[in-house]
Amino acid sequence: MSEFQQSMEEIQKIDQYLDKGYKINDVYENLSGMFVEFAQQEEVAVLQILTADARKYFAAKLQEQTSLQ
Amino acid sequence: MADLHINLAGIKSPNPFWLASAPPTNSGYQVQRAFEAGWGGAVWKTLGEPILNVSSRFAAVSYNGQRVAGFNNIELITDRPLEVNLQEIYETKKKFPNHAIIASLMVEPKQEKWHEIVKRVEDVGVDGLELNFGCPHGMAERGMGSASGQVPELVEKQTYWVKEAARTPVIVKLTPNITDITVTAEAATRGGADAVSMINTINSLAGVDLDSWNTVPHVAGKGAHGGYCGPAVKPIALNMVAECARNPLVNVPISGIGGISNWQDAAEFILMGATGVQVCTAAMHHGFSIVEDMIDGLNNYLDDKGLASVMDLVGRSVQRYSNWGDLDLNYKIVAEINNDVCINCNKCHIACEDTSHQCIDLYTEDGRPMLKVREEDCVGCNLCSIVCPVDGAISMVERPSTIPPMTWNERQTLISSLSK
Repeated sequence: MSEFQQSMEEIQKIDQYLDKGYKINDVYENLSGMFVEFAQQEEVAVLQILTADARKYFAAKLQEQTSLQ
Repeated sequence: MADLHINLAGIKSPNPFWLASAPPTNSGYQVQRAFEAGWGGAVWKTLGEPILNVSSRFAAVSYNGQRVAGFNNIELITDRPLEVNLQEIYETKKKFPNHAIIASLMVEPKQEKWHEIVKRVEDVGVDGLELNFGCPHGMAERGMGSASGQVPELVEKQTYWVKEAARTPVIVKLTPNITDITVTAEAATRGGADAVSMINTINSLAGVDLDSWNTVPHVAGKGAHGGYCGPAVKPIALNMVAECARNPLVNVPISGIGGISNWQDAAEFILMGATGVQVCTAAMHHGFSIVEDMIDGLNNYLDDKGLASVMDLVGRSVQRYSNWGDLDLNYKIVAEINNDVCINCNKCHIACEDTSHQCIDLYTEDGRPMLKVREEDCVGCNLCSIVCPVDGAISMVERPSTIPPMTWNERQTLISSLSK
């Protein structure tokens, strides 16, 4: 799979969580990439983001969420 | 015609083109011929206690047929007594009262030594002083030149001593042989410098002869490091000028030096904050007459830009120079190949495939070999357009980003605010 396709899939996953009403609750980065914690009421899900383009996209979504708060 | 006069910290000259302190400004004969050719100023070859030179002093690096892409020297400061130089400075200034003559000075880091030479040099009517804290070879082994220019405390203290005695503007010439030139530029400013100039030469060894195994140059079979200059050092010098120009603690004018070979180079230094420029290697390579094209070219450029004076150009690009963390991560460019112009050398494909992001595809259309960029995989690195030998065959074009601008610093602030 090309890196572009991989990033599109990761972006799609980010959108899926947000479309379902999840909020970005926490994020941490390490040698393996970025780990984003999505939360909705009691439910928590962690998504590992590997690609650079998806990590950029995530930051834009976090900006959107922050500006709405 | 635009006005090319400059005023650098009170030193006025008819144009921004000065000869740097170096072999071209060794004598009154040379400086007077330079002024007749059109140079606006000259920084006299460094005055100090007359030295002894070795024979075999220069070497050049040629690259793919370009002669003198870089230039290396192990020549020291003036080897003539001070009185001889002062007499020639006096005569030259008398003949060319409207041209700038700046005396480059180098003495031991002692207050009384600086006071003495400043007084004697100013008595003959120089327009300013340039403190040589930059020469990396020979004199540095004796505690002068870059040896003192690499120590911020010594830069500040010596500048202060000079300012105690000086009546003319003091320029401090900085060495690039240091991790962060803004540290010594700040030190010079604290010491009272009226301006800074940069860069002096970079520690270098031009080469090794593969037959004799001697260094290039060598002196009876032995070599020593020299100072590197010429076109190869221009990007290093331009960055150092720009870093100083955007540093609020270096709030003095800058004289730009380093590989300036034509009016375009000069304009780039001026845009990045230099009030004027100093030239050496290009004059050594092509002679004093190169200044004619420099003057004409800069004049035409200023006219094209609608600027009445070269002083209006000074620093116009400084605000565009920033930290990496303040660049927009979401700005997007991609390569675009014009197959009508492409000669199918495939250098772009090879470069991209072997050393970048594997996004240039080879294919055939109507039996004709073609190249195409897969834009979704192109990161906009520019490599293909850099290696392409045909003008116009590859363009880097902007693509609208689907997400808003965000810098690394903004991103980090955003993420850290989430975890609070």
